Amino acid sequence: MMYGYWGKILRVNLSTGEIKTEEFGEDFVKKWLGTRGFGIHYLLKEMDPKADPLSKENKMIFSTGALTGTTAPTGGRYMVITKSPLTGYIAIANSGGFFGAELKMAGWDAIIVEGKSDKPVYLRIEDDKVELKDASHVWGKRVGETEKILTEEFGDKHVQIASIGPAGENLVRFAAVMNNGHRAAGRGGVGAVMGSKKLKAIVVRGHKRVEVIDRSKFISVVREKTEILKNDAVAGKGLPSFGTAVLVNIINQNGLYPTMNFRYGQFKYAEEQSGEAMAKKYLKRNKPCYACPIGCGRVNDTETVGETEGPEYESLWALGANLGINDLASIIEANHLCDDYGLDTISTGGTLATAMELYDRGLLTQEDLGDAPPFRWGNTEVIHYYISKLAKREGFGEVLAEGGYRLAEKYGCVDCFMGVKKQELPAYDPRGAEGHGLGYATDNRGGDHIKAYLISPEILGYPYKMDPHDISDDKVKMLILFQDLTAVIDAAGLCVFTTFGLGADDYRDLLNAAFGFNMSTEEWLKIGEKIWNAERLFNLKAGLNPLEEDTLPKRLTDEPMPEGPNKGHVVRLKEMLPRYYALRGWNEDGTIPGEKLKELGLEEYI
Amino acid sequence: MAIVKFFATLRDITGKREIEIKNVKNVGELLHRLYEIFGDEFKNEVEGRNMILVNGRNILDMDGYKTEINDEDIVSVFPPAGGG
Ligand code: SF4
Repeated sequence: MMYGYWGKILRVNLSTGEIKTEEFGEDFVKKWLGTRGFGIHYLLKEMDPKADPLSKENKMIFSTGALTGTTAPTGGRYMVITKSPLTGYIAIANSGGFFGAELKMAGWDAIIVEGKSDKPVYLRIEDDKVELKDASHVWGKRVGETEKILTEEFGDKHVQIASIGPAGENLVRFAAVMNNGHRAAGRGGVGAVMGSKKLKAIVVRGHKRVEVIDRSKFISVVREKTEILKNDAVAGKGLPSFGTAVLVNIINQNGLYPTMNFRYGQFKYAEEQSGEAMAKKYLKRNKPCYACPIGCGRVNDTETVGETEGPEYESLWALGANLGINDLASIIEANHLCDDYGLDTISTGGTLATAMELYDRGLLTQEDLGDAPPFRWGNTEVIHYYISKLAKREGFGEVLAEGGYRLAEKYGCVDCFMGVKKQELPAYDPRGAEGHGLGYATDNRGGDHIKAYLISPEILGYPYKMDPHDISDDKVKMLILFQDLTAVIDAAGLCVFTTFGLGADDYRDLLNAAFGFNMSTEEWLKIGEKIWNAERLFNLKAGLNPLEEDTLPKRLTDEPMPEGPNKGHVVRLKEMLPRYYALRGWNEDGTIPGEKLKELGLEEYI
Repeated sequence: MAIVKFFATLRDITGKREIEIKNVKNVGELLHRLYEIFGDEFKNEVEGRNMILVNGRNILDMDGYKTEINDEDIVSVFPPAGGG
């Protein structure tokens, strides 16, 4: 008997309609832990990394983590791993809510989706009973309505649904997979891959209890860690009170709140769209994910949309300051639209910001737009109008649906695009946190903050404060540690926000208690390192050219920050990158040497 | 005269978004002054962990509580916070 997992994977071939069960043992867990680990194993083993991401050759793995479905704090997460149509490299999108835990409780640890269906289908899972069903009646429907219809059809309000909206169906390159209405496996266009397979949704209901090896021991470890989180000033107080949007004022005061496509590092109207302002004006209550003692999720109520969830910090920024927009109610509405159409908010905002920059420079003109609203900084009409247009690929939305990079390229200004590996950057200007900039440049999934959040040490002071402009080896090592540790937390099925209270040893305790293993923190971190390297290996096989693509937009490396506390600073990426490669044990050209792959047990994937 | 800005929970405790403070040499002195004005609730919130910026720069990257405060400086005081 296995603990933590069932040792069962569901393989669904949409081309043939075949549904199979496959099994795995404890060795597989010790090797890959879960989510990203399981996902990269299957992608490296079973698909050509050069395959077209929207073709039937691409595979999609929906995977739970080691502690998903247990009572471990925040143990409810799942990830979607596939090849990204936005970056052409690995996509590893993580989501909370309740879907992941339900999947595990239905007796499944992961689902491998392969092939392509001719007509819209959805996957219905009720414990051991699994079937593909017609989805023509929900094709074209937004996320909220899709969830409503499929829940009614199932006849059980406890059912959990991961689905795509019109954006995924229309292959928008940054479409998300959504669950619980507003929780997103957001980044990298995983929703477009699902759309290309004509898989509208996965609907799941489970009635099983996830077992751990020693229930009473596990409960006591869970209690201990939950107490730490509850008593922590950030996890127990800051996040529940203000949500992640508490960062608006912090990042703005620190002078790295990207404003108008990263032209500036401070936004004049930040205060009006801060977590404090949101709590005062629109907040009804907070809403935690499965087994979460933190509860950063926001339920807001505005006149135009009524009750909705979010926006969290990144979305608030992407659809606000990055476009020069200050009206909080409009931003909340835009966020709601993104969720309902099934769009990644960061890339949506980043793409619109690129359009504004192009318009401002006269490269994109009103002639190109026809009657549609002009892309002027601060024009709130833009967000609502173009979000629906791009989700439906109508009018100029057809161009926007390709993402910021392809838009900038089309209008002859690649430097107008603020992203890495064709993915739009999140809400921190790295000219005010240089280690975080190295994180952007080296992230396996492109412009991204959550796979190694160096804002923690550089700005917030966790686990201890590091100078944001220190670029010594200590900083580079910290980034590597964050990348590896985050891979462990992801693979464990936990939320990265637990890191504000918990350290690497706490995750070790939880994992060991669930499985009855006696592994050291170093051994768990080694799995994180293996995952990071395996994902990198996938990217290299897909054609990554490290020296050209482990990079940042010129604005961040060559144009000094014009004002504020970081005035005069750029990201000294060239000084950090070679040391990063060396400290990772990689070659000077950013490839991974054979000995390193061997050390990590990755020879069989070369 | 320096301007001191409060954020997050500190706004509810002080009932203010910002105040002006005169005659303090450094951040340590400023905190003592703030403890006197706003009492234990304020003190408990920031004494252990906090984030204090002088003109947008974290005091931990400068001289800690000995970081000097000059006229017209802007001091931002946050309780411990995080997100992402
Ligand atoms: S901290 Fe927030 S995102 Fe993380 S599990 Fe809890 S509610 Fe969900």
